[in-house]
Amino acid sequence: MAVESNVIDAAGPYDRAKALSAFKLGDLTFYWITRLSAISVLLILGGIIISLIVGAFPAMKEYGISFLWTQRWAPSADPPVLGALGPMYGTLVTSFIAMLIAIPVGLGIAIFLTELCPQWLRRPIGMAVELLAGIPSIIYGMWGFFVLGPFLANTFQPFMIKIFDGVPVLGAIFAGPPSYLSLFNAALILAIMVLPFITSISVDVFKTVPPVLKEAAYGVGCTTWEVVRSVVIPYTRVGIIGGVMLALGRALGETMAVTFIIGNSFRISSSIFAPGTTISAAIASEFAESDGLHQSGLILLGLLLFVLTFFVLAAARLMLLRLEKKAGK
Amino acid sequence: MNPIYVRRRRKDIIVRGLCIGAAAFGVTWLALILMTLLYNGLAGLNLEIFVADTPPPGSTEGGLRNAIVGSIIMTVIGVGIGAPLGLFAGTYLAEYGRNDRLTSVIRFINDILLSAPSIIIGLFIYGAVVVPMRGFSAIAGALALAVIVIPVVLRTTEDMLLLVPNALREAASALGLPRSLVIKRIAYRAARSGLITGVLLATARVAGETAPLLFTALSNQFFSLGLNKTMANLPVTINNFVQSPYAYWKQLAWSGALLITITVLALNIGARILGAERTAK
Amino acid sequence: MTDLSVSVSSNAHLASQQPLPEAPAKVTVRNLNFYYGEHHALKNINLTLGANRVTAFIGPSGCGKSTLLRIFNRMYDLYPGQRVTGQLMLDQTNILDPKLDLNLLRARVGMVFQKPTPFPMTIYENIAFGIRLYEKISKSEMDDRVEKALRGGALWNEVKDKLNASGLSLSGGQQQRLCIARTVAVRPEVILFDEPCSALDPISTAKVEELIQELSENYTIAIVTHNMQQAARVSDKTAFMYLGELIEFDDTSKIFTSPSDRRTQDYITGRFG
Repeated sequence: MAVESNVIDAAGPYDRAKALSAFKLGDLTFYWITRLSAISVLLILGGIIISLIVGAFPAMKEYGISFLWTQRWAPSADPPVLGALGPMYGTLVTSFIAMLIAIPVGLGIAIFLTELCPQWLRRPIGMAVELLAGIPSIIYGMWGFFVLGPFLANTFQPFMIKIFDGVPVLGAIFAGPPSYLSLFNAALILAIMVLPFITSISVDVFKTVPPVLKEAAYGVGCTTWEVVRSVVIPYTRVGIIGGVMLALGRALGETMAVTFIIGNSFRISSSIFAPGTTISAAIASEFAESDGLHQSGLILLGLLLFVLTFFVLAAARLMLLRLEKKAGK
Repeated sequence: MNPIYVRRRRKDIIVRGLCIGAAAFGVTWLALILMTLLYNGLAGLNLEIFVADTPPPGSTEGGLRNAIVGSIIMTVIGVGIGAPLGLFAGTYLAEYGRNDRLTSVIRFINDILLSAPSIIIGLFIYGAVVVPMRGFSAIAGALALAVIVIPVVLRTTEDMLLLVPNALREAASALGLPRSLVIKRIAYRAARSGLITGVLLATARVAGETAPLLFTALSNQFFSLGLNKTMANLPVTINNFVQSPYAYWKQLAWSGALLITITVLALNIGARILGAERTAK
Repeated sequence: MTDLSVSVSSNAHLASQQPLPEAPAKVTVRNLNFYYGEHHALKNINLTLGANRVTAFIGPSGCGKSTLLRIFNRMYDLYPGQRVTGQLMLDQTNILDPKLDLNLLRARVGMVFQKPTPFPMTIYENIAFGIRLYEKISKSEMDDRVEKALRGGALWNEVKDKLNASGLSLSGGQQQRLCIARTVAVRPEVILFDEPCSALDPISTAKVEELIQELSENYTIAIVTHNMQQAARVSDKTAFMYLGELIEFDDTSKIFTSPSDRRTQDYITGRFG
C-alpha cells in the first residue's frame, strides 16, 4: 500500500480560483433558469385565468348573472340567446352518476388489491388498472359511441325503463325511449375512466396505514372486512375523500369520452336516458365554428368549468396534503 | 358455532366477493376495450395507412400518413418545449427551493394544473396564441400540448430528485463542486431513469390528447409541414371520422385509435419498466 | 487505568507510544459556537489541527463531533437555519468569512463520509470528474492522475483492469477507498473523515485505517469516530467532546492512558456513551 509521496505537486489554490470563477456565471444562470421555469407554472395559471376572463367578457356583459339559470341555447338567434343551465346540469348529473358507480367499485378494487389479492396477481391487476388510466379519453369516447351506446340502448335501458314504468320519481328518471346518446351512457363511460384514479389513490393511501394497527385488529380476531371498515377506512378517510375529489375533478372536465355519446342537447330532461350535454362537450362540438357572442358564451362556460374544477381539485389536494402530513409524523 | 361469529363471517365473505367482483369488473372493461380496438383496428391496418394521406369524403382509398406525421411533429415540439421547462422547474423545487414558501405555492398550483381539464388548456391557447396569430396553427397545438407536459414532468422530476440521497450531494459539494454542477452532473445522473420515466409518461399523456387540439391545430385533409398553418393530427382526425357517415372513414378511425393506444400503452409500459429498474437498485 | 480495552497495534503511528513534536497549526479554532435554530450545538470550542497530523474526535452520539467536522468545510451552508460564531482559520484564510468562495474552500478541505458515496459513473470518471473541474489536461495526463489517485487510495491494484466498471459495482470497502482516492485527486490540504469505517467490515476497516496513516504524511487529517480503538490506532491527537463541549484535547497516548477529566475516563472505559 504505497502512497505516492508526490501527490501534492504544482497546482496551488490560485489556479483553482481561476477555474472556479469560470463556473460562477453558469451557476447563477442555472439557478435563474430553474427559478424562472418554476415561476412559469404560476404564469400559466395566470394566463389561463386572464385569457378566459378576457374571452368571456362580452358574454358576461350581455347576459350577466342570468346566464347561470337560462336554459335556452340559441346561438343563431338574433341576438343569440345563451344560457348555461343545460350544460351545467349535464355536467353535474353525469359526474354524479359516474361517481356513484366508480366510488364503490374503485374502493372495492383497492381493498381487493391491498387486502385480498394473492401476491402474484397483485402486479398484473394493479398494472391493468393503471393502464386503464393511460388510455386516451378519445378511445373511451369512440368505444362508447360504437359499442357501449348501442349495447345499453338495446339491453340495459329497456330493462330499466320497463321495471320502473309507473313508479313515481324513479319512473321519470328512467324514462324512455332508449337512446344511443344519453346522459347515462356518458356517465357510465366517465365512471370507467375515473375508476383507475380512485383505485390507485386509494391503494396509495391504504398503504399509509401502519401495519401494526392492522395487525392489532387482526390480533383480536377481526375479519378482513372488519379491519377494513374499522381501521383502514377511518384511518385514511381524508385521503380517500381527496382521491374521490380528484376523480370528480377529472369527471367534471372530461371532454372526449363524453362528446360522442351525450347527444349535445341543451334541453334538460328528467330522464337520464335522454340526450343532454356537458360544458366541455358543448365547447368541443361548437367552438371551432363559433364566433362573436356565441364564442364568448362558450368561453364563459369554460370559465365556469375552470372555477368549478379548480375548487374541487384544490380541496382534493388539501385533503391529500393533510394525510401526507399525518403519515409523515 | 357462535351465531354472532357466523354472521360476521358471512358478512366478510360477501364483502370479499364484492371486492373480487369489482376487480373483475375493472379488468373486464380493459379487456373489452382492448379487444374491440384490436378487432376493429387490425381489420384496416395495412401499409396504405402509413403511406397515403387522409381521403376526401366518400372515397374508399387513403390512409393516415399526414395525421400520423402531424401528430409526431406536434408531440415532439410540445414535449420539446414542455419537458425542459418542467424539468428545470422541478429542479428548482427539489434542489434550490426546498424550504421556500414559493415552492409550496408552485407545487400546489402545479398539482391542480396536472388534473385541470385539457379543454381549458385549449381555450387558453386559443386566446393566447390563435387569436393574436389570426389563425389556427400547428405551433398553437404544440404549445397546448407543452402546457400539459409541464406539470407532469415537473411532478416526476421533483419526486425523483427528492429520492436522490443527500449524502451524494454532500459528497459532491465536498469536492468543491458548484451547486449547479452538483445538480447537473450528480443529481440528474443518479435520478436519470426516473427523469426519463417522467418524460415518457408526459409523452404518453399528450400523444392521445384531443380536446386541446380541436381549436388550436384544428386539422386538415392534406400533408403539410408548415407550423403556422393548420396541421392534420391523429386525435382530431379520429374525432372527425368517428362522427362521419362514411364507413371507410370509420374504419380509418379505428385503425388510428389502435395506433394511438399501442403507442400510449407502449410508452406507459416502458416508463414503468424503467421506473421498476430504478427501485430495484 | 490498567484495563484499557484499547490496544495499540503494531503498525500504528509512533505517536501512540512517544509524542511527536508539536506540529505547526493548520487549522485553528477559537471560541467557536454553533446553533441549529435555537439549539446551541457547539459551545465555545478551542483547538488546533496540527499540519500532517491525525486528529481524532470522539464522544457519545450527539456530542457535536460530526457537527464540528462539518464546519471545517462549511457543509452546513447547504441547509438553512444554522448559525456559527467565533473564529476558524485555515492557515491565513478565515473559513467563516461569509464572502469566502465555498467551492474553493471545499477543494482545499476534502471530506469522506460515513457511508461510501461513489457517484453514479465509472470508476475512472469518479476520479477524473473532480480533476476536470479545475484543470484542463490531456488524456494521458489524466490517465496518469487517475492512476496516482487510485494508488493514493490503495485501490489501484484491485481496479486497474476494470476502470470502466461502475463505481457502484465495487464492494463497500472498495467504494470507501474510491471516495478517498476521489478526494485525494483534487489535491486538498486537509481531509475530513466522518466515521469512515462505520459501514465497513473489519478487514476493510483495517485497510482504510492503514491508508489514513499513510495519508497523514501529506495531509492534515481530522477523523470523527465512534470506535475508540480506532482513534487510538490512527490518531496523534484526540479530542473528547461531550454535550457540545470540548472536554479534553491532548496527545492520543495521554488521553487513553491518563485522561485528566473524569468524564473522559468514564467514556473511554465504557461507563457511558
